[in-house]
Amino acid sequence: MSEELAKEIIDNFSNTGVSYTSKYRMYIQTPKEELFRLLEYLKDNGFKYLVMITCVDWINENEFELVYQVGNFNTPLRIIIQVRIPRNNPTYESIIPIFKNATDYEREIHELFGIVFDGNPKLTPLFLEDWQKFHPFKKDFDSREYVKVTFDSIPTLEEYK
Amino acid sequence: MKSNTEKKSALKPAKSIKYLFQKPITFRYPFETRDASPRYRGFHLNDWEKCTGCGNCADICPTQAITMVEIKDLPVETGKKAERPQIDYGRCCYCGLCVDICPPGALRLSRDYLHIDHGTESFVYLPKDEKSDKEHFVTKDKYSIFQANLGHRRANYEGFVSELNFVLFEPERTPMNIEPPEVRINSFIEEVKGYTAEKAKEESERCLECKLCEDICPAHMKISDYINYIYEDNLEDSVKDIYIDNPLPGVCGRVCTHKCETVCSLGKRGEPVAIRWLKRYAVDNVDVNHIEDIVQVFASSKKQHHIAIVGSGPSGLSAAYYLSLMGYKITIYEAKPMAGGIMRYGIPKYRLPHEALDKDIKIIQDMGVEIKTNTTVGKDISFEEIKNTADAVFIGTGFMKGRSTRIPGIDSEGCYQALPLLEKISSGEDFWLGKEIVVIGGGNVAFDIARSLTRIQKKKYGEVKITLTCLEKRDEMLADEEEIIEGQEEGITVKPGRGPKEVLFDNNHKVKGLRTVKCVKIFDEEGKFNPTYDESDVEDYSGEMIVEAIGQAPDYSYLGEEIMKKLEIVRGKIITDEYGRTSIPWLFAGGDIVHGPDVIHAIADGHRAAQAIDTYLVNRK
Amino acid sequence: MITRELELYYGPQHLGMVGNFSITLSVEGDTIVEAKANPGYLHRGFEKLMEYRSWTQNLTLPCRINVVEPDSMEMIYMMGVESLARIEVPERAQYIRTIVLELSRLASHLFGAWAYANMLGFDTVAQWAMAYRDFVLDLFEELTGGRVYHIYMCPGGVRRDLPDGFEEKVMNFIKTLAGHVPDFDAALFENKLFYKRAKGIGQISRQEAIELGATGQVLRATGMAYDIRKVEPYAAYDKVKFEVPTREDGDAYSRLWVIHDEMIQSAHIIMQCIENLPKGKVYERTPNPFKWKIPKGETYVRIESSRGELGAYVVSNGGKNPYRIFFRTPSFTHGIPILEKLLKGANIADVGNIMISLYVVPPEIDR
Repeated sequence: MSEELAKEIIDNFSNTGVSYTSKYRMYIQTPKEELFRLLEYLKDNGFKYLVMITCVDWINENEFELVYQVGNFNTPLRIIIQVRIPRNNPTYESIIPIFKNATDYEREIHELFGIVFDGNPKLTPLFLEDWQKFHPFKKDFDSREYVKVTFDSIPTLEEYK
Repeated sequence: MKSNTEKKSALKPAKSIKYLFQKPITFRYPFETRDASPRYRGFHLNDWEKCTGCGNCADICPTQAITMVEIKDLPVETGKKAERPQIDYGRCCYCGLCVDICPPGALRLSRDYLHIDHGTESFVYLPKDEKSDKEHFVTKDKYSIFQANLGHRRANYEGFVSELNFVLFEPERTPMNIEPPEVRINSFIEEVKGYTAEKAKEESERCLECKLCEDICPAHMKISDYINYIYEDNLEDSVKDIYIDNPLPGVCGRVCTHKCETVCSLGKRGEPVAIRWLKRYAVDNVDVNHIEDIVQVFASSKKQHHIAIVGSGPSGLSAAYYLSLMGYKITIYEAKPMAGGIMRYGIPKYRLPHEALDKDIKIIQDMGVEIKTNTTVGKDISFEEIKNTADAVFIGTGFMKGRSTRIPGIDSEGCYQALPLLEKISSGEDFWLGKEIVVIGGGNVAFDIARSLTRIQKKKYGEVKITLTCLEKRDEMLADEEEIIEGQEEGITVKPGRGPKEVLFDNNHKVKGLRTVKCVKIFDEEGKFNPTYDESDVEDYSGEMIVEAIGQAPDYSYLGEEIMKKLEIVRGKIITDEYGRTSIPWLFAGGDIVHGPDVIHAIADGHRAAQAIDTYLVNRK
Repeated sequence: MITRELELYYGPQHLGMVGNFSITLSVEGDTIVEAKANPGYLHRGFEKLMEYRSWTQNLTLPCRINVVEPDSMEMIYMMGVESLARIEVPERAQYIRTIVLELSRLASHLFGAWAYANMLGFDTVAQWAMAYRDFVLDLFEELTGGRVYHIYMCPGGVRRDLPDGFEEKVMNFIKTLAGHVPDFDAALFENKLFYKRAKGIGQISRQEAIELGATGQVLRATGMAYDIRKVEPYAAYDKVKFEVPTREDGDAYSRLWVIHDEMIQSAHIIMQCIENLPKGKVYERTPNPFKWKIPKGETYVRIESSRGELGAYVVSNGGKNPYRIFFRTPSFTHGIPILEKLLKGANIADVGNIMISLYVVPPEIDR
């Protein structure tokens, strides 16, 4: 069943590649314009369940990679879709019209990585409070440096002695 | 899904009286302190005698809670650092990774876990244990949980300890392919086959990068760096790091006495990393021309001074290499037909094949160093002449003469010295060989000659009959343990603890054997060499050929009387400072004639003397 | 009648709250008009912290994400690393991991029973449940050396073998607990007061549950028998026999009964594992922790924790540290969208009821 599905995906969507890392994990790489149509297509074919949305920061290639995962209760197969968007001024469309529970995942990615999702009504801060300066999960934010700079006023243990 | 409070009745509450006579379901704990489980992860314990200060615990701690602090009062021991771990309990998460990686198993976790204090200073703690700190570790009857503190802990209360099956390092070495004895005594082929790429990667992965080996290596090579390059398959950078401190790695990779391996952390409870064989792997697998290109990176501009070096052994070649890199012009005077010194004419081919030695020498020669072989200083050219042509002179002539036991009969035909025989074997010359041989001596040279003679005996007569006897007892013998074991596998009979008395002759005045007596003590009360024997315990060993290999001595006749008067010589060795400077400003010395005792010390001497010669010449201007 | 909307802070310190979590309620009279969940009190940035430490050093971090059931977080990280590095875990280690996971599931369900019973006012049952949880923690202390944070699993197996006499102690504990189940039933689960307080509260239909991303008991209480231990077995679950309990209604009452049945199934699994425990080694040594690099790739692994589907998406770019780890936790969807939907139109008195019956653990939301 997964082979037929893979074949149909490659036929109907442009520039899309399908690969497997193991029996029940299918990875699809697709350009960002095709994602919406692809998710609708998968939902029509039984993959009604959005498992997660997350983001990986590929700073050397200057791109963010958004990772979506959909599941189906009739088969153990999980489909993971990877989409690349450019790293400067990142925006993307929200998939709330297809999957209702995407709201909070997109909210988390907006707060931690800085990607703006058009169409999401609830892009308010989720974990961090009063943190308008920068987005902490990006690779150019060094948390150890930040700790040294911000909390420098507290003397270290050697100075204590 | 049924509910049992449906029917109402006035008598229902009376039913609960039966619980008056039943045991309560909640278990009552009287206030007795309960010991924590035998594997509890509490505060740290450290055995300061086993701890080597390697710092692996500090490297692996995920919260950076451990720092290594220098302890000034620790007794100085070789192979250990005078540092001990200090734990910051504000950061420690009690995971026990430091226990699982500690190579000697000194760091453990105890079952204590309570500590209360007003300030934060006491939370930074140097753990000891009941052996070295009797004040803070008290026995069970004196211990009180109400005073539990980092300064009031219970002795013999270990919790999470290190177990060898579950440690994070690999205690077993990757096995090396060594020829079995029945194959190797048929020829002088190299007995250690060397690692393949896969095995070298597996072995180099074991190194924990604690750098205890770098401190004890006489040349202070960057061992953990070059092993890391081997792990990453980057042999060029590995060879480059090796050549910073050692220009003869092909030799050292086969015959070095590997002090580094004796102090390797993994050797405390397992087998040390095979540092010597990994060095050999890196050097063998990089082409000669490639190495010459790599080495040129360190070269500096040419200078006009000229330096003469007497002796092309390891110290001379090493000094020549470093001085040549600094830009000086070098001439080496070598008495024998080929360069190499004791490396070519003393170490047999099954330990050090000549191809490896020639590769190392070729790299040094191609840097522009001139080696004049078959030129004996004192005969073909005088030392005065050499002094006049050079701005500084380095002597590394080594101990090339053999010492004698001077027992009666040792001067007759049939008795030989080890070094001339080894020279003949190395050059391929023929000589007369006895059917039964006795070798006197228990050091590495004795085993070299004995094992070489087994091979020649096997080829000529078909069987091996060699007896080796020495003054030392079996566990005091000076040769490497591997040599003794491999020699015995090849058929040598080892008779330790015997002193030679006299050579026995048959009716035709031909050598028939050696008479020995039991040696009771070797050194007297002052520590001087003065063996005492038990003359009643006599053993005779039969043999037509006796070979002496009890030690080597130098030959300074080439220097001339004037220079010998100015030099300070104690027990055959020239006194120099740690940089090889003698009492004569333009004369430098290194190698066996300064202190020995092996190839790597000579190489380190050559390096330091090169630095001293450079300083001397720069300041002389 | 004039009604006005009031904003009420059901804050992080509240008797009906489990963990550090707050909800902002807009109430009109006694009914809630709108609810907004405010997580973030426990955000420690684990995913960023793990990018600074090597693969072996990281094994001390994931257990702190879920305080109530730390073993499932350890398991998911180990499975992710083992899947990327292609390490095979020995069979005895798989059985031991199953025993540890099931004991942890028992402890977590007992904790949930304590929280729910305490909130409703059934204090006796709550203390029984907490007492039995303490016995489980004692068993863990003997096995691993720590009561709450075990740090027992490592990539390649488990860190130490079972101590002597451990199997008997576990069997004794299970038998004692099993003997006490009728008392639990009589006091809480089959009690008419509990039926009246929990029936019909927080009802969610199967369609809505799937749309909003529910897994675990919330889904099984709506009638769908989906358990990852049966669908995609891991550890030793394909070698033991057990059933997946379900209920039909989808309200708080059904969810509690699903938990009750799951605890009994856990006891069966533990007994089977102990009887069939194979011999052998428990640890497959991984490469030197200072030099170990995992080849480039990514993977997604999942297990059935006591709350639902717990997954980890691990990305490696060939280095000594992970490049990105993302933990897909079940409390994220239970605690924010489902909670906000279920609280709409509910009574203020039922806020704690609904929230605890969803088994939200706040540290899992924040990570």
